[in-house]
Order: sequence, then C-alpha cells, then structure tokens
Amino acid sequence: MFRKVLIANRGEIAVRVIRTLREMDIASVAVFSDADRTSRHVRMADEAEWVGPSPSTESYLRADRILDAARKHGAEAIHPGYGFLSENADFAAACEAAGIVFIGPSAESIRRMGSKTAARQMAIAAGAPVVPGTHEVLGGPAEARAFAAQFGYPLLLKAVAGGGGKGMRRVDSGAGLDAAYREAASEAERSFSNPDLYVERLIERPRHIEIQLMGDRHGHMVHFGERECSIQRRHQKVMEECPSPMVAARPGMREAMGEAAIRVARSAGYYNAGTVEFLVDAHGDFYFLEMNTRLQVEHPITELVTGHDLVRLQLEVAAGEELRLRQDDIAWRGSAIECRVYAEDPYNNFFPSPGKITRLTRPLGPGIRIDGCVYDGWTVPIDYDPLLAKLAVWSGTRPSAIARMLRALREYDVAGIHTNITFFRQILEDEEFREGRLHTHFVDEFLARRKPFDPPPDLEAIAALVAAFHSTRSTTRAESAHAPRSRWLDIGRQEVLR
Amino acid sequence: MKVSLAIEGRAREIDLDSSGAQIVAVEPGVYSVLLDGRSYEARIEHSDGCVIVFIDGHRFEVEIRDPRRWSRQTGRQGVEGRLNVAAPMPGKIVRLLVAAGDTVEAGQGLLVVEAMKMQNEMKAPKAGRVVSLAARKGATVAAGDVLAVIE
Repeated sequence: MFRKVLIANRGEIAVRVIRTLREMDIASVAVFSDADRTSRHVRMADEAEWVGPSPSTESYLRADRILDAARKHGAEAIHPGYGFLSENADFAAACEAAGIVFIGPSAESIRRMGSKTAARQMAIAAGAPVVPGTHEVLGGPAEARAFAAQFGYPLLLKAVAGGGGKGMRRVDSGAGLDAAYREAASEAERSFSNPDLYVERLIERPRHIEIQLMGDRHGHMVHFGERECSIQRRHQKVMEECPSPMVAARPGMREAMGEAAIRVARSAGYYNAGTVEFLVDAHGDFYFLEMNTRLQVEHPITELVTGHDLVRLQLEVAAGEELRLRQDDIAWRGSAIECRVYAEDPYNNFFPSPGKITRLTRPLGPGIRIDGCVYDGWTVPIDYDPLLAKLAVWSGTRPSAIARMLRALREYDVAGIHTNITFFRQILEDEEFREGRLHTHFVDEFLARRKPFDPPPDLEAIAALVAAFHSTRSTTRAESAHAPRSRWLDIGRQEVLR
Repeated sequence: MKVSLAIEGRAREIDLDSSGAQIVAVEPGVYSVLLDGRSYEARIEHSDGCVIVFIDGHRFEVEIRDPRRWSRQTGRQGVEGRLNVAAPMPGKIVRLLVAAGDTVEAGQGLLVVEAMKMQNEMKAPKAGRVVSLAARKGATVAAGDVLAVIE
C-alpha cells in the first residue's frame, strides 16, 4: 500500500479522501490556491503545498504544478477527487509517465469514455441499450417516418450540427412530421448553415439512475447498485437517493442495470471506481447515457447502504491489489438520501451566495453523515463551486429516511450566507417526492407548484420578542463598554440629529 | 421595558416585562425562549440596520424603532388618502381606544390586540378620521384582517 498520497482537489472531497487516508495510516498531501490557505483540507492534511493563484486554471487545473508538488513531497499516488483534473486523460497519462499512480482508470479508458459519441458506440457494441436513434443524416421525412414505424412516437428531430435546442423539433404523431421536419431543417440551415437532421426517440420525463462500479487491474469488476439522481437544478444533481424508489419496486432491475453497466465498462478496459449513467423511462426501460470515470459526488449514499468505503477500495485497486469482493458479497440495506448543501439562494434562480460563515450548527445524532469543509468563521471563496457540505442520512426505509433528513435539516444552521436548506425541506414535504414520482424536470415543476414556506402563526410573535430583547441588550452592552460602537447607537444618533 | 418595532413591515409594540416569556442568550446571537411551556430557539443576524430573526428556518425582518420618537417619525411620513390598519397576527381584541368617526393623531392608539400573552397597541399610521372600525371588543381576528380604516 502507498505510504503517501497527494489529493489534487479541494473542498469537501479533499477532506473525504484525507479521512480514509488517515484511517489507513497513509500520509496525506493537500494542494491549495491563494483562496484556500485557510480551507479545511489544508488544515486537516499532514502536508500541504501551494499550487498557484485562486483561479482554478492557475492552480487546481495546473497538472505541471500538481505533479511538481507530488514529486517534492514524495507522494506515490494522486487522488484526483471529482471535477478539476479527474477526467483529464492527459493528466492521468502524465502521472503514469512520472511514475506516480493515478488513482482512477487508465488514461485510455478516460479518453474512450470522454467522447459521448464514442461512448455510445462502445455501449452499442457491448450490447447495452441506448436511446434509439439514427445518429446518421436523414434523407428526408420518409426516413423519419420509417424510424417512427419501428420505435414509435414521440420522437425528436435534431440538427446534426446543432446545439442549444436550435434545429430541434418534437414530433408527437405522423400528422405533424412533415411540417416539423421542414421547420427543423430550415432552422438548422439558418443557425448552422447545415440543414441535416437525425432522429431520436424522445424519453418523456426521464429518471436519471446510475450504477456504481468498482474494478481491479486484474479483470474483476463488481457493481454497488444504483443511485437515483433525478432531482436536478440547472442540469446539476442536488439530491440523490439509494436505492432508487423505482428500482426498489422492480425485481431484477438492479441486476439488469448492473450487468449492462459492467459490460460497457469492461469493453473500455475499465478499472477503479466509475459510474454508468442511464436515462430511465416510465416503463423502467433504461438507456445508456454516459460513463463518469471517477468517484462521484454522491458516493456516500452507496457507502451508507452497502457498508463499503469506496475510497479505500479505490486506493487498494490503485495499489494493484485484487478486489476481494464478489458480486454476492454486496448487499443493500435500508435507504439513504443525500442533500447537497450549497451557498446559493434557491428562490433567486439558485444564485450563488458566497461570504463569511458567521455561525454554524450541524445536525448530529442517529444515521447522520456530513461530508463537508465548512467551519464557523470561514469565508466561502467566490472562485469555486459553492458546495458547502453533503448531508446524508441513513435509515431502515425510505419514509423513515425522509423523516430523518427533515429532522437533520431542522438542526442545520448556517448563518451569514444563503443556503438551499429550506428548499430541501420543502421538497421532502412534497407529495410527488414522497410518492417517489421522480424525473429530471422535477425541480422545475416543483418550483411552479410549491406552496410558500409560511411560518406557523405563533412564530412571528416570538421573533418580535427576541428582536426586542436583543435590541435592548446590544444597546446596553455598547453603552457600558463605550467601544466597539454599536450600530444601534449609531442609527439612534443619526435619528436624533435629523 | 417597551420596544417599538416593525416586523415584516407591521408595527408592533413589545412590552418585555409583561410578555411572560423567559428569554436567555445561549450562544452569541442565539436565544432560547420559553413561553407557555413551549420552547423556541431563535437566531439573530444583522443586515442594513435591520435585525433578521430565524426560527426553525423561517426568516423575519425586524426594524427596531426608538419608542420616544415613534409618533414623530410616523407623523413625518405624511401619508395621503385612506389607510388600512390590519392585524399583524392572529389574536383577540381586548380594548378599543377610539370609536368610528373620531379624529386621531398619527401614532395615537386605536385598539389593543392580545396574542401569545402580549398586548399590542395598534396605532394610527397617520393623522385623520376613523372612517370605519371593524374591530369588536373580545373578537378573535386572523392575521391580515382589517381592523380600522383611517382617512
């Protein structure tokens, strides 16, 4: 096993990796930018090295500086976390060339899975289902009609050169096909100077369900079941759960998805941790979407339900050890939910809200796990993703896990900045959510139907009392101490002088 | 001790001595409140001269006013036209201080509403005439109910 590992990341995931390293008695090396000198991961690590100014392009994305830091500190391996350099094939190759182990798959696997079209071809070759489509230029509406005859409506016409929804038309029946084709082609011509179209089956209100994999360098691979990640805002996951309410209700679905995911990963010669993402329709049919060649943000819920430490397994596999787990050794117990607590205002278009944390109280008690990097007095940097912590809970059933998460969110107090904590409480109270009717447009529809977060009637009186009490206290204290000056006194003086 | 304030834009007068509540500062900016056998925890933040009170994830914006300048300040606002005086919270009307048709000064007490063992005097937002007084002594009112109209 390694004696020293560098973490090429920051924030909560760097803290997460350091924790397992410490449990395994492996020394940790943190890297940090100007903005992160006082960040938790630097405080926690055994060693730390500055790698550049605050912008990530000048620090956490600088492969050369990170490799220099690894060499200087004598780290034998690099854990890339997620984001930054974690899915950069050139970085993985540079690590291997420098004789430092990249804790992840081979550069070749990253490269093959990095291109969506190449990954789709690989999935087809491996016999995994993909969203039916031509992905070749259509000769005209007649070919689209032939596709519909085979796969049915609704379907989606898409510009080959397209992007951003331009040159895209939804078709619900044969009657509208010709007109939609003409419109899409002419819009594609105008937007991209290329009228070519292809056709794809439209999956309405799909679920996003993914399979966690782990493979060793000796050809053995197992899956750790699924995570449902349909609760997304701006195409980013904010809340995940394991098991998926849909998969849990369908015998054999987990095994079928797991086997399909393993087939795709094997065809790319994959090892270490990876996740295969699927779109799932209302009937439970699943379609390969893409593969993430790294540890996922939401891995803690899989750890809670299966009882395995995925980072530890990553380290063992990277060190060349054989994965001792057989598929039958992996069992799923209870239910876990994760909320990604962000410094953002969910009711102002999820606008980021960086700033200083003036007070912090975290939930404690049964079944709570927090992967975080925040502390009282820390200023959330404006330079990076404003993820403060991942709050995960485990309980025996999905309803009791929901109740536990609601309890935990009530205990969570972050002052000084906006967070999305209240937003999660509202989602967890939502009937559609409780019924497990999830899909990737859930948040948009929820925001449209949500009821205001009105306080119980007695709370306003209590708030008024506390404000009054507080105002008398802060005035007296400032008067007796003379300094520092109280804002209340200042306001009072201005009023008198008016 | 009495404190005048506006909570979520609604004027209130709080008498700390007769509130019946036991308030203790438990941590910097955190207060524990016991009232009628119930326990509450409130957290305070300051923002632009306002006090923001958080209780159980709910946010209340409070503007503290000096009681000695209360009437002068409201009088200065010189509001034109009709103005509704609405109940800031559910409660019971314990006393009427004026009658319909009376002429009132800005800041003059109109009626007293009791809720959570706190008596709150509802004041005239401007000088004028009480054109209607919907409130009856002993009546229960809901938050937002119009109690009086001043013109």
